[in-house]
Amino acid sequence: MMFKKKVKQLAPHLFLWPYILIVLYPLLFVITASMKNNTEIFNDPWGLPAVFNMQNYRDALTNSYIGHYFANSLYVGVVATVSTLLLSTAIAYAVTRMKYPVISKLVYGMLLLSLLIPPASLLIPLYTLVKDFGLYNTPLALIFPYIAFGIPLTVFVLAAFLKSIPNELEEAGIIDGLNTFGILWRIIIPLTLPTLVTVFILNFINNWNEFVMANLFLSNEKLRTLPVAIVAFADKFNMNYGAMTAAITISIIPVILIFALLQRRIIEGVTAGSVKG
Amino acid sequence: MNNIQRNHWAYAVFVVPAMLIYVTFYLVPLFQSLQYSLTQWNGINDPVFVGLDNFAKVLTDDSFWISFNNNMYFVLFSVFIQVPFIILISIIVSSVRRFLDFYKLTVFMPSILSTASIGVIWQFIYAPEAGLLNQLLRTIGLEHWTRIWLGDEATAMLAVLLTNSWQWTGFYIVLVLAAIFAIPKEMLEAGEMDGATGWKKAWLLTIPLIRPVIVVTLLLSITGAMKALDIILIMTKGGPFGSSEVMASYMYKQAYTLSDFGYANAIAVIISLFTALLALVFHYINVKTREATE
Repeated sequence: MMFKKKVKQLAPHLFLWPYILIVLYPLLFVITASMKNNTEIFNDPWGLPAVFNMQNYRDALTNSYIGHYFANSLYVGVVATVSTLLLSTAIAYAVTRMKYPVISKLVYGMLLLSLLIPPASLLIPLYTLVKDFGLYNTPLALIFPYIAFGIPLTVFVLAAFLKSIPNELEEAGIIDGLNTFGILWRIIIPLTLPTLVTVFILNFINNWNEFVMANLFLSNEKLRTLPVAIVAFADKFNMNYGAMTAAITISIIPVILIFALLQRRIIEGVTAGSVKG
Repeated sequence: MNNIQRNHWAYAVFVVPAMLIYVTFYLVPLFQSLQYSLTQWNGINDPVFVGLDNFAKVLTDDSFWISFNNNMYFVLFSVFIQVPFIILISIIVSSVRRFLDFYKLTVFMPSILSTASIGVIWQFIYAPEAGLLNQLLRTIGLEHWTRIWLGDEATAMLAVLLTNSWQWTGFYIVLVLAAIFAIPKEMLEAGEMDGATGWKKAWLLTIPLIRPVIVVTLLLSITGAMKALDIILIMTKGGPFGSSEVMASYMYKQAYTLSDFGYANAIAVIISLFTALLALVFHYINVKTREATE
């Protein structure tokens, strides 16, 4: 009886482990390969490195400007994300807490339109637009589209939260003599801070990972972001697996770190966002 | 109160700058796409109006239909293989107590990594000689199964689809799990008292109760399949011989390799319309089957 119960408890785990292994192994492989040299990778792809060799990282950081691309990604990602949040908070506040029902419906409807359009189909006109505005080959060529693509979902998540804040808090603020901006800054933003952190992370991860536009709107190598650099690197040195896996590890570390620190918030945010979207 | 909540100036400050960026970089391209789709244009000279010629060209363009079929293949793979797998794994994970958080976090992780890194990692897994998949097959004595996965017309698309599943399955599992854990305990207990346990419980209770989230999962996978572009550009560039081309990558090729921006925009319009059509059909089926079960 005891035995049967044990088997019953164990069965789901036995079923899950092969899948877990398939998920984890490629990541584990990248990390171990980044510490091996090429011969070692070819002869013994499965094993751990004989010595923890950091040469590939030194090569990646000194010879291939990975550090520079990292800074580019960080710059574009942070500027676009902060702007998205500022602009989205303003819209979400205006449409949920201010009394302009007709215009607010219109604004919200225009944002909802974005759910129907696959972003890939905007790529070519966007490319033309970026060139016409003289933004091609500047960081702004990515920052503006990232903001525009980030606004709708950010507004939906923030508006859903703002609707739940009771009116009495604002009334108290008014009695204390706050104006519209004061209420937003002193009352609404502090209450919304946890949600803001969540949407910040989601937008940042999206921007950090974006490939197609970053590949198309910038041709200057100096401005490249990490995803583009990694793909270019893989095409150019497709036999130098050590350096390549080191570059990949460098690019996924920030995201894994953010995830390790804020997993719950990320998972909640992502699932809430997609259910509402 | 009114002066605060009806302050024209403040409302304008809040709404205008943000909407200006959104309209300029989202809605304007949308309408330009419609406009350019009716022209012949190489991206440099002035576009020449040609009416619906680009859309007529689509009908007889075999390469376009290969990419269209690949999108269909992508959608069907997501709906009939990936989503059932997601539901199965979610139900199993929801039944365990130990390691629950570990499973959840692990399966979720690939969905936050960049498609660029994932594409490059899987290119290595599929590599002909050193690649992990072929090495694994050789180790277990299935030498004759080895092939150049991404360079073979028969397997390139499937190889990309599996990579895409590897990236996104965990994301949906977490979504479905949240719904399973949100089912009121009493409901499941009542079911158990009526004799529904194990798979019977999953089939008769859990799945009907999480129907809304399954609908969302299906819808997101369908639109995701229509959106796919980066993973194709990174892993195969549509090759070999166009065998892994999808509509979005074919559009990309028309614009940036062949400089046919008019035709590329026509394909962009078709992608949008077709995605909307799929969503509508899906919505219709969803409503019909819900009526039938209720």
